[in-house]
Amino acid sequence: MYRYDEFDQRAVDERVAQFAGQVARRLSGELTEDAFKPLRLMNGLYLQLHAYMLRVAIPYGTLSSRQLHKLAHIARRFDKGYGHFTTRQNLQYNWPKLAEVPEILRALAAVEMHAIQTSGNCIRNVTSDQFAGAAADEVEDPRIWSEIIRQWSTFHPEFSFLPRKFKIAVTAAPKDRAAIKVHDIGIVIRKGAAGVNVFDVWVGGGQGRTPIIGQLIGEGIAAEDLLAYLEATMRVYNQHGRRDNIYKARIKILVHQIGATEMRRQVEAEFAEVKAKGAVVVPPDEIARIAAYFRPPAFETLFDADLSAARRDAGFAAWHDINVARHKVPGYAIVTVSLKPIGGIPGDASADQMDLVAELARAYSFDEIRVSHEQNLVLAHVRQRDLPELWRRLEAAGLGSANHGLISDIIACPGLDYCDLANARSISIAQAISQRFAALERQRAIGELKIKISGCINACGHHHVGHIGILGVDKKGVEFYQITLGGSGDETTSIGEILGPAFGEADVPDAIEALVDAYFALRQDGERFLDTYRRVGIQPFREKLYASH
Amino acid sequence: MLQVLTANRLLDGAAVYLAPNGAWVETLEGARVFDSKADAEAALQVGVEAERRLVIVHAYLFDVVQAGDQVKPVKQREVIRAAGPTVRRDLGKQAAA
Repeated sequence: MYRYDEFDQRAVDERVAQFAGQVARRLSGELTEDAFKPLRLMNGLYLQLHAYMLRVAIPYGTLSSRQLHKLAHIARRFDKGYGHFTTRQNLQYNWPKLAEVPEILRALAAVEMHAIQTSGNCIRNVTSDQFAGAAADEVEDPRIWSEIIRQWSTFHPEFSFLPRKFKIAVTAAPKDRAAIKVHDIGIVIRKGAAGVNVFDVWVGGGQGRTPIIGQLIGEGIAAEDLLAYLEATMRVYNQHGRRDNIYKARIKILVHQIGATEMRRQVEAEFAEVKAKGAVVVPPDEIARIAAYFRPPAFETLFDADLSAARRDAGFAAWHDINVARHKVPGYAIVTVSLKPIGGIPGDASADQMDLVAELARAYSFDEIRVSHEQNLVLAHVRQRDLPELWRRLEAAGLGSANHGLISDIIACPGLDYCDLANARSISIAQAISQRFAALERQRAIGELKIKISGCINACGHHHVGHIGILGVDKKGVEFYQITLGGSGDETTSIGEILGPAFGEADVPDAIEALVDAYFALRQDGERFLDTYRRVGIQPFREKLYASH
Repeated sequence: MLQVLTANRLLDGAAVYLAPNGAWVETLEGARVFDSKADAEAALQVGVEAERRLVIVHAYLFDVVQAGDQVKPVKQREVIRAAGPTVRRDLGKQAAA
């Protein structure tokens, strides 16, 4: 994985020193809260319901064991012994003290991490496919260009005060595991006509108050042109994006208002000008230098392992079936470590669990961990013969849940339990649903079903692209939940449709149960929940749901 | 409508409440309850002053109701701020209760 060079390290160290000075000036009264707030936000520090919250960037969701151990240490030393992995592949600490934040940032910098650009109207943490470098279907490791974009966008002076925040996701596989079409810019790396990899640039996707699917604006962009094309896109947005209305300030609104054709025309015109004036071109040596950090690890030459003996243990067999994916190298496997135990808090991991996963990564997965936008961890390069022992150790630590992609593998934002913006709780709803569907046999009978829950319209819980989406709303101080159906964040991205009137908190599990019952009654052989929905539409589900309430 | 003045403590962000003696306390039970709009809005100035003295940030009023000898927030948001995360009863002020 990528390692800082002297420039990276110096930039981060200087930023820590700068922010330490700003915190000191705040605590001495030299800075007012109004003056301090934009500075703390630029360093990932929010003020939430109970305490400050520090959001730590995990570029494209990749961590080393050393880094994860450090995150565990920070959780113990400065927080309350846990952290929350988010849909941006970041980690949030919920209880840091203001005076200690500089020390936390110094600890992060010591392992080449930071909290820069995890907030504010700038280009945020670049996200990517959690199976990068291991997926059998990818054309290259998408983290190489994710890292180049990270470097290009970090402290970019032109893009530090955009009309609104800006999120970029990159994938290099036809199976979209990074939800690229609901990002401000989503990049798909694919084989071009000449057999050389090229870049499709999807622009103007997003969730929040106005969910919109991105449009294909740049098609087959050459690698040497990518940064210039991104720069051109950002310039069009920076110039025409609305700064007068926060609700209309994202690039998706601009693309929606002027249309994809006009957006493409403007980007192409800007692109031509950028190139004529001398575009940023990454030298081939630099691309090669960065690519070297993502070279495949030293895989052994192996045959696929015979795990039939281990599979006599039903627990292992289920986990093997559900949480283990095919690796591009024979004899290896990709393991999703579920952070969704039944009744647990989606995305939360204790310091002890973080330490354990870091140790397991060191022992079994070339020292590397991934964070998925679905709030799980991934060990991307595990020898198949090590899977039984790995599972036993995960299981003993409460990390062996076999539920990846099933109904209890729920995305949930922190919601009203922590978040200052939330209107309703998310986590408690996720817990109630996962407890309702705790029986693994039933979960497996249901098959793939992605439930995503947000505690407010900002949609951090990705409810718009949930097969079943749940949005918490406040009705005169009481929490209600609006249900959508048919959303998807994969290569067939769709935005969910609202079913009808919202439900009270206690009624949500019954409502989900009614929808599952409807699915069972409607589905044809081999259909997933989403397939059935797409075949029959919303009405049969609506009738079943509201007939039962 | 009864109201209470709340804020976040500067040092750690904890939810605090203005008490009858002018101190900022951690528990809603110790908060001063304003029964007149004029008094409540005048108290906002106390918040401004406390912010200037680096005690708190972001002072605001919220609605409460009297339930027996207890004061209860009208909105769930303030119930949770006063207690802690409902999904982690071991954390927040509820942990010490």
